[in-house]
Order: sequence, then C-alpha cells, then structure tokens
Amino acid sequence: MVAESHDPLRFRYLDPLDGLRVVYQPPPPGAASVTATYVGPAGWGFDAPGEEGAARLVSQLVTSAAGPYNRVELARRLDRAGGTLTRQCAPESAEITVWGPADAWEELLRLLSLAVLEPRFDPEDVERARRQLVERQLREAAQPAQRAERELLRSIFPSGHPYRTTGTGSPRSLRRLGRARLARFHAEHFTGEGGLLVVTGPAGPEKIRAAARRRFSSFPRAKGPELRLPRPRAIEPVRHTIALAGRSQVDVRLGGPSLARGDVRFPAAFLANEILGGRPLLSRLFQRVRERGGLAYHASSELEAMRLGGYWVAAAGTGADRWKKVVPMLEDELRKLREASPTTAELDLIRESAVGEVPLSLESTSEAHELAVDAAYHGLPEDHWVRWPSVLRQVRPAEVRDAARAAFGALGAATVVAGPVGGPGRGKPSGG
Amino acid sequence: MVRHRVHRPATREFSLANGLRVVLAPQPESPTASVWVWYRVGSVNEHPGITGASHWVEHMLFQGSPRYGKGEIDRAVIRVGGELNAFTGTDFTAYFTTVPREHLEIPLDIESDRMTRALITDTEVARERTVIHSEREGNENWPEFRVEEELYQLAFREHPYRWDALGRRRDIETMSAEQLRAYYRRFYGTRNAVLVIAGGFDGTRTAAEVRRRFGPLPPTGDDVRVRESEPGQRGERRAELAGPGTTPYLQVGFRAPALGEDATPATMFLDTVLGGETRLFTTGSGWGRSAEHPSSRLYRGLVDTGIAVRATSEWPPRVYPGLFTVQAQAAAGVSLDRLESALLRLLDRLARDGPTAQEMAESRTKMRRATLLAYEGASRTGFRLGYFSVLKSPRLEDEIFDGLLRVTAREVRDRAAQLFAADQRTVVRYRPTGEGNGS
Repeated sequence: MVAESHDPLRFRYLDPLDGLRVVYQPPPPGAASVTATYVGPAGWGFDAPGEEGAARLVSQLVTSAAGPYNRVELARRLDRAGGTLTRQCAPESAEITVWGPADAWEELLRLLSLAVLEPRFDPEDVERARRQLVERQLREAAQPAQRAERELLRSIFPSGHPYRTTGTGSPRSLRRLGRARLARFHAEHFTGEGGLLVVTGPAGPEKIRAAARRRFSSFPRAKGPELRLPRPRAIEPVRHTIALAGRSQVDVRLGGPSLARGDVRFPAAFLANEILGGRPLLSRLFQRVRERGGLAYHASSELEAMRLGGYWVAAAGTGADRWKKVVPMLEDELRKLREASPTTAELDLIRESAVGEVPLSLESTSEAHELAVDAAYHGLPEDHWVRWPSVLRQVRPAEVRDAARAAFGALGAATVVAGPVGGPGRGKPSGG
Repeated sequence: MVRHRVHRPATREFSLANGLRVVLAPQPESPTASVWVWYRVGSVNEHPGITGASHWVEHMLFQGSPRYGKGEIDRAVIRVGGELNAFTGTDFTAYFTTVPREHLEIPLDIESDRMTRALITDTEVARERTVIHSEREGNENWPEFRVEEELYQLAFREHPYRWDALGRRRDIETMSAEQLRAYYRRFYGTRNAVLVIAGGFDGTRTAAEVRRRFGPLPPTGDDVRVRESEPGQRGERRAELAGPGTTPYLQVGFRAPALGEDATPATMFLDTVLGGETRLFTTGSGWGRSAEHPSSRLYRGLVDTGIAVRATSEWPPRVYPGLFTVQAQAAAGVSLDRLESALLRLLDRLARDGPTAQEMAESRTKMRRATLLAYEGASRTGFRLGYFSVLKSPRLEDEIFDGLLRVTAREVRDRAAQLFAADQRTVVRYRPTGEGNGS
C-alpha cells in the first residue's frame, strides 16, 4: 500500500507563481529519474495570419540555445547531466520537457528554465530550424500518411480555425519569420499566466516549490493569450482521393470535429473511441479490418479532445488493391458505433482493460509524468487518476452510444485517401 | 578483468534440463511484471524462398494454439490492462508482455504454450499474408527503408544479412503455411530461447512456477549458427535509387565487426562521436535513439553548415559482422554530390585526426549517465537483460561498458581509419523525382 503523499497517481497543485500553475508529482516506486515540463499557451493555433510556422519554430528553438549557452554548449550541459530536452507542439499549447537522472534534478530544472525564459534565437539556429521545417513541409506533401492527415484537417475545419493546420506553415510564411518575430511570439506565449509547470521526481513538494520560485518567477506579468474557436458548423461529407504515384501503401483517414476534454460526456466518449479503434488489438476496427479481413497492418482510431474542442480520426494503411474495401468498413463501424449501444460484455472488456493499464503508466517517471501533465493541463482534480477507474465503471452502454453520437460525426465526417490509388505503381530503382 | 560494472537489478539465472535459460530480476516495489521470451532465431536463419519467415512466424504466434483460440491471447492480456507485442530482427525474435504484477501467471501460461504448440493453420496464414504485405508496403512508402534495403543487398552477397527481416516481396507472396510450420518446428523451442521476467514478484515462488510450466517442454530447437560467411569486400559499391520524396538522401555503409568482438568499444565510441549516441547506451527515455545531438560531429559538420537537415550514424549490434552506417538527408537545394562529398570528408578527417580529448570525455560521460536510467521499469529491465542474455549473458553489458571506459582516442582513431576505408564502403543514394506529389 503506497502512502497518499507518495502515490504517483496523486499530484499536488502548489501555490501558483505569478499566475504560473505549479504541480508536484511523486515518482513511481523505484524510479531513478526526474521529469519536468513547462506547458505554455504557445501552440500553432496562435500563429498570426501570414506567420504560420512560428509556434513550431519557437518551440524548437527554445530547446536549442538559451541563456549563456549556445546550441552546442547547451547540448553539452545536458549530456553532462545525462538529460534530454524535448518539445511537443500542438494546436493549443507547446510543451518543453526535460528528463534525466534524479540526482541531477536541480541542474535539469535550471536548464529547463533557461530554455523557457531565455531562449537566444541565434541567427544560425533560426536558419537551421527553418531549413528543417521546410523539409517537413515537403514530407507532409509527399508521404501518404502525413498528407492524408493534413488534408483531413483541412476538410473538417473552416479557414482560420486553429485546428485546421499542422502548424508547419508554408515556405512563404517561414521566410517572413525572422528573429524579431519569433522572439515576439515567445514573449507573448511562453507566459506565467496561462502556463503550467509539472515536476515528477523524488525531491518532494517543498524543494520543488522553492526551486520553481528561484527559477520560474521572472515571467513578464502580461496575461497569456487566449484562443477562440469559431462556432461549430456542419461539414460536407466529402471524400478526397489524392493520387501519390510511386508509393506502396494507401493511407485512409476518416474523421470529423469532436468534443472538448472538459465535456461531461468525455469519459463515455473515451470508451466509445476505445471500442471503435483506440484499444490496441481488441477494437472493432482492428478486429474487422486486420484480424478478420486481413486487409491492413494497422487500423485504429483516435479521439483528440483538447481544451476548447477536438476531433476524431479513424485510420488505416492498406494496399492499392484493398482500400476500396477498407473505406466502407471504417464507415460501417462508425455507423454501428453511433446507432447501437455496445453489449455489456464488450464494454466491460474494454473498460477493465483501460482501468488495468493505469499501473503500467507507473513503470517510469516519464510515463507517470504524462498522466500528471495531462490532468493538470485540463485543470482536473489532484486525485483524478485515482478516481478514473470508478468514473469509467459508472458509464453505461447507452451512454457510450449517446456520447458516440455527439463525439463521432455529429457535425459530419470527411474521408481522405492518399497514396497509389490508381494501382500499386512502385517506384523502380534506377542505375546501380 | 572487468573493473567497471553497470548498476542493474540483481538477477537469478538458471537453466532447465530442456535447455531453456531463465533470468529473473525481482524488483519488489514494481507495480508491474514483464515477461520476455527471446529466441535466437531471426532473418539470418532464413534462405531465399523463405525470407521473412521469422517475422511471419512472429505474427502467427498471436493467432492461437490448442489452448488459446484465435484472439484469446490478446484478450487474456489486454482485459487486465496489460500490453503485449513482439519484434523480429536479423539475429533474434522477442515477445514481451507487461501486466499488473498480480497477473504474472497470464504471460507465463501463454509463453509456455506457444513455445512449442502454436497453431499455424492454412486459413490464418492466408489471411495474414495481406497483413504482412501491408506492413511491408507501409515501410516501402519511406525512402529511408528503400535505401537501407538496397544498402544491405549490395553490401552482402553471401551472408543472410542481405535481406531485411520483413522478407522479400516475392517470398511473402509465395511462402506456404507448411514452410512456416516447418520453420517454427525447426527453430522454436527451449534450446534456442531465453526467458526473462522482471518486476514485482517473489523470486523463489516464480522460479518454481517457471520450472512447473516450462520444465515439461521437450528439448527442441535446431542449431541456429549461420555457416555462410561474407567474403571480404574489394572495392566500393554503389547504387542510386529514384522515386518520390522530399530532398536527396543517402546512406553509406562500412563493413563492421560483430558485437562482442575486440573492436566493439572503439566502434561504439565512433558512433557516439559521429552521431551523438550509440544503441544500448543512449540517454533518451526510449529504447532507441533519442533526439537530435547538436554537439555530434555529423550535426556540426552537416546540419549546422546548411548541407543537411538530418545526419546520424548507426551501428546496430549484431551477432555476425554487419555494417556501420552513416545517413544524411539534404537540405532543400543541396545536391547529392555535395552531400556525399561533405559527409565523406568529415569521415576522412575523423579517421586522420581521431576524436578530440573533449569528445572522448563527453562520450564517456554520456555513456556513464545513460546506464543510470537503463533499468527504470520492469519492461525496460526485461528488454535489456534479454538483449544481452540472448547474445551471451547479462555480464556482456559489463564487458562492453568496461571497454568503453578504457578505450583510448588513439584506438578510436585507428578504428575509424580501418572502418572508413574507401574500398570497404557501400553507398546508396536516393534522388527524389519531385513527381507524384498529388494536388
């Protein structure tokens, strides 16, 4: 039995620092590492028109060079501490995470604070990050999976919607993003107010509070920006077919707008997604498309529930001669999910699986940390993950069906198929 | 004499009369238990006509046995919140299941059953054929996969490393269920397996449970040693592929030693100096390579200078002599010629001058720090103990680590000079055609 104060499933909100919410999470038993994340209102939904790509560039550059350290020196400092500094950018937020041995926690927290508060935006770093993002833009156009994902978002969200893009911008918008504009984006979006700091490790709440006060209290006092979504509107049930010759696999995406994480129907919608395609190996899509149909290597679904709204995607990767069978299967499973409640047996199986996996998240600090970041970002109670099993167990089959109707296709759905849709068309090696 | 050892959980190792090797690593505080079975069977044990058999058998081991009907293995594990998967490489195949600790008996029952009693039916093989195809097709969408497949095909003429573990397309189309059953019967079994259990359990009780479940299995599994050896390379080999893609890309492969040979520490050092880290001694939170390494030679020499957007090296540890590879993706507007000559110049410089004292010190620090977190969690522990055990024993890690801390800059330089010789390299370049990107 783990004492409550040492239970990694219970995180603690500490006193905020000038608007910055600070959270401490005890590490899983036996863990030897520390993980800390700053989350700021710095996602690509905040990119100004004509400056698309700014959020992604800034989140990359803050992990490149900071404070007194240029890019190489910052990397060396991290290596010496045995840590890594990574970033994740999403429509509503950007996350900067440091991970490393627990005995180096103070140094790692210092390096995280430098990255968040004092990025350098050295001109050569800006140029390099821009070159890398240009290649990513090309990849989104050339790779069937990325291309299908990109086109789906364009199909289901109207122009100007923060979820409509993948945040990579265009060659033109990147050219506009010089050092000054990037520094401005950073100043406006890596804020205390609207920001969150989560630390998972053995140091304890008192030391973390003191260290956070030392390292993270120099945010400008300005309030963080807020994102607004346009009013939801019905979408056309379109199907886009994008011919990408020379590839082997066709990627299929079916999706539409969905619920926000704070919606009271979220637990039931979560289970609906697990039943549809979220739960590995057991889901309806996996069973029908792969296990019974033998038509694809992967078939799954995802519910991306964010603060303000969300979207869902059902996905499969299949052959040029099979995608026409796979698309109706995805559509059919969606229809069935919306029309009929799952049986009690199916719901129980999926639910107990979701409940049972919580201990698996406690294998390492970084996995446990993800739970705390997720819950704290959405302002959920400190014991959210302790109560999660009972929340799921209260959901009834009819509620899953009702939530599926609200979360999966209430505003319509679009389908995108990208790849060698005209036939296998494999690229042949030349020369040699 | 090994002076430096990696700090890892205490293990209890024993062998059963049927040849099964067992490694137990109890971690009393762990909320999970992770069961790994590593078979010394991989694509090196195949031959033309049945390339991809190891990987296909891996898929079939989830498709049922007399005790577990189709889908029941997945359901048994996932209904308690566990996760399971498997992967196939050139030299081994590994199956793992991690469950909440109170459900340890589930994976033990599954693994003891499918070690010798998997059903590989004609019907399921026929259905799985398109799934395997689809997996291969997904990989083929990436230029990096095509280049790597071509590289190994070109660098090896005799040794089975010349095909990818996924198998050749033609063999996937024609391999029969009977061929897969024969392959499974021949190689799978107690004599070619290592069972590793890590996490929250009692060592004595679990050892007894392992003996009870696995002890009665017959001693099966043919000799897996590969007889073919690759003749020496006499001159550079090269190929150029063309197809859809973003910017020019290339991989250069050099004939490299097997893991455990004397040259292992110096080769791992080269990998770290060039690419920022080496497999098995990575500072990332995952098992593979972690993020970018801006202080590495390749990054500074190719990415910082605007020639590439990505550049890294890799020495996949293998049982038989394999390849040390260096790969780079050009920045937009940079030609393949420019990319290749910059990359080769950089390698020449390292072979001529060796690593700096700072690079040696930094690489050592990285490796030392990496080992601190290598055993966090039952799943990672199971992976790592299994990896070294299937190659030799958990002590192999200490031998390599000790070598890494002793190797000198001069030895690394000499290794680079030998490894990066022009007549030992194979170059595969990928030229994006810029066509077929849809509209």
